[in-house]
Amino acid sequence: MSHDTPPLGAFGMLMRSLLIQGAWNYRTMLGSGFAFALLPALKRLYGNDPNALARAIERHSEHFNAHPYLAPIALGAIARLESDQVDVETIRRFRTAVRGPLGGLGDTLVWATWLPLVAVCSLVLYWFGVPGWGVVLAFVLVYNVGHLGLRVWGLWLGLDAGRDVGARLTAVDLGSWARRLQGPLVIGLGVLCGAVLSAPGGLSSIGPAWSALAAVAFVLGLVGGHRAWRPAAMATVGAIAFIGLWGILS
Amino acid sequence: MTELLRFGVLGGLLGLDGTAVGQFMMSRPLVAGWLSGWAAGAPGLGITIGAILELFLLVSFPTGGARFPEGSTAAVVAVGVAVPFDGSGAVAASVAMGLVWGEVGGWSVTVQRRVNSRLVPTDVASRTGSLGRAHLLAIVTDFLRGAVVSMVGVALGRAGLGVVDARWPVDPSVSTGVLYVGAAVSLGILLHDLGGFRRRRILFVLGLAFGIVGARFL
Repeated sequence: MSHDTPPLGAFGMLMRSLLIQGAWNYRTMLGSGFAFALLPALKRLYGNDPNALARAIERHSEHFNAHPYLAPIALGAIARLESDQVDVETIRRFRTAVRGPLGGLGDTLVWATWLPLVAVCSLVLYWFGVPGWGVVLAFVLVYNVGHLGLRVWGLWLGLDAGRDVGARLTAVDLGSWARRLQGPLVIGLGVLCGAVLSAPGGLSSIGPAWSALAAVAFVLGLVGGHRAWRPAAMATVGAIAFIGLWGILS
Repeated sequence: MTELLRFGVLGGLLGLDGTAVGQFMMSRPLVAGWLSGWAAGAPGLGITIGAILELFLLVSFPTGGARFPEGSTAAVVAVGVAVPFDGSGAVAASVAMGLVWGEVGGWSVTVQRRVNSRLVPTDVASRTGSLGRAHLLAIVTDFLRGAVVSMVGVALGRAGLGVVDARWPVDPSVSTGVLYVGAAVSLGILLHDLGGFRRRRILFVLGLAFGIVGARFL
């Protein structure tokens, strides 16, 4: 952080950012959570002027949405803009401008790549016979190193860069991180499929017909994408319910 | 009743992790399943059910305003249902119950979000303390939502499984086979999301070969 950046309650903002979705709603989405997380900075800046504080809370409670792990970037940048006494309209435009990219980047990097990568690797550990507590510990530790690292880095970046956060984010190119992680995720997915097929208690131990059926189901998912998920889950539930009903009737 | 409450508290806490508090992903079925099993003295059963549900829900994430199956509810309910039973269909039937109740949990999250719209004050500027209170109230109601949904799911699931458990007509391997076939669709969807088989075939096949050999010999 630059030496001339005033103390803005960074730790308080970081802790509150963990609750930023506490009141997620269809009216303001993250809006009220954003104001809640920004409050330590706003209190430091406007603590002596209740009216100015109230006005600041009101404008930051307006509609906002972003990925929760990347929202600290916006929190830090806006705290910096407020402390630099940038005019209200500029802050409002900045807030509107960053929400789309922070949502899209976060979804791509975290939900579509980091989370599946760590989950797939943990499932591979499970199918390779690692004890349950080891699998869970590995998942929680590795996942949250990335998660918390992203939050801390994002807040620091926002506080340091202020209105230049867009240029700094472009230079970092988070999208390329996601692309780089996709290769290992594909390999991990292949390993997982192989493990489910051949591990003790896996599909091959049940019989080749089940392996063939699973291959057909895999292709259905590959071709159909997300449209195939709910019908497949409900078909599985239906099949299990049918077996149960068969047991009762016979 | 105490055991039901225990699953309720766990469902409430893990439900909070899903969206409202932290998102440390303790709410993923793999973790929630093991924790539920550990709380009931059956961590092995918990991780088995959690791993199967994680396969199903690998492609389900808490994105923005979308409605998604709630993995924590699915896992807590599935493990809570399975614990007292040892019949050949216990795992399969409880996973099926978890899949259904995960959808119920997802629906309850959308209801919670509508409730939050009313809880969050429109005139926060007039009372700065109201913002924090509204936030806390939303988190408390979300905990209660998760707890109630989980307890109802476990109670209903146990009643249902009590009827079919002793009369399950097929070998456990057949029931497990049905689950794996269903879960294979999610694995296909994940490869679809990553660019499809044609674009990713070399890496995927390399991984597949390592998985087949590794799971058998490591």
